Amino acid sequence: MSESIQHQGGREGARTIRVWDPLVRLIHWSVVLGILLNAAVTDPEGPLHEYVGYAVLGLVLLRMAWGVLGPAPARFSAIPFSPNAAVRHVRDTVRGDRSVHLSHNPLGALMVYNIWMTLGVICATGIMMGTTAFFGVGWVEDAHELAFNWLMLSVVLHVLGVLLDQRRTGVALVKAMVSGDKNIPDGWSTK
Amino acid sequence: MIKWITENLRSGDADARRAVLMAAMIVVQGLCAAFYMGDAILDLDGSEPLAHLVLESLVATVLCLGVLFFMLELRRLLARMDQAKQGLRAAQGEMSAVIDTFFTRWGLTSAEREVGLLILKGVDNENIARIRGRAVGTVRAQSASIYGKAGVDGRAQLISVFMEELLASDGPA
Repeated sequence: MSESIQHQGGREGARTIRVWDPLVRLIHWSVVLGILLNAAVTDPEGPLHEYVGYAVLGLVLLRMAWGVLGPAPARFSAIPFSPNAAVRHVRDTVRGDRSVHLSHNPLGALMVYNIWMTLGVICATGIMMGTTAFFGVGWVEDAHELAFNWLMLSVVLHVLGVLLDQRRTGVALVKAMVSGDKNIPDGWSTK
Repeated sequence: MIKWITENLRSGDADARRAVLMAAMIVVQGLCAAFYMGDAILDLDGSEPLAHLVLESLVATVLCLGVLFFMLELRRLLARMDQAKQGLRAAQGEMSAVIDTFFTRWGLTSAEREVGLLILKGVDNENIARIRGRAVGTVRAQSASIYGKAGVDGRAQLISVFMEELLASDGPA
């Protein structure tokens, strides 16, 4: 009886939970902008390409610091590196588990570390190319390009993963990375 | 990015605005620190005088400290915002518990409880009738019965019973 009225007020069922703080969101979309700029706009030989690269490296380092100092959902402890958990997550998902992860899901966590590391490799080899010691060295350039191709593949997989999880749970994940709030639909538990 | 910042600045309350501004400051300062550090490392090959190198490192260090400071401040601010929200939710949960206690004490029937809640939410009799699919006369009779059981002489007094409870410090009397 009185429960049904509370239900209308949003106490049970669908609810909104704050997950991404402003710094996480700002860094995420700034990195996206940096990658787009250096992939498609800037001249790879020019100084602007280098500056954007430094900026992306700076953003990743900031995110690392925030992973230690930040609030719980942003911290490394919320995104444990665990292939086992990822396998379990895929199995649960196939079986139709109805729960939503408040931070990244375990599969997404692996992608997070993958993208951070790939960006690190790209930045490191990029900086090496600008130094006198490694200028014109073949394998450094090859590594830079290989890492970039790997990054493009990772980005495609990342976006696909987001869209698939969005379809599965009905949580608007892209919107959550813009507004910071996850809208958990009626009937889904969180973990 | 700029659109994103202005949108966040417009929609949020003061604390949320502060958080967004702080995040932006952290990013800008962090990028400045990265540029100075990168430049200092590239100058390690001896192309610049030592004084230049020392100055660059100093600036980079100060900027890094600034970033750390802002990060700690931002975390504190976010924690405070979280706490405020939780406090509000607790107060709301408390209020519904208080309402339940009174309704039970007055011995309201389940239909009367629903009508009572809608009255407290400020819905008028015509709309309550529509929501519940009953005649207005029925709702009027039910609200009269609620007022009678509660010992108040109308809608305003019924609400004031709960207002008093909110203002009093020590829970349901």
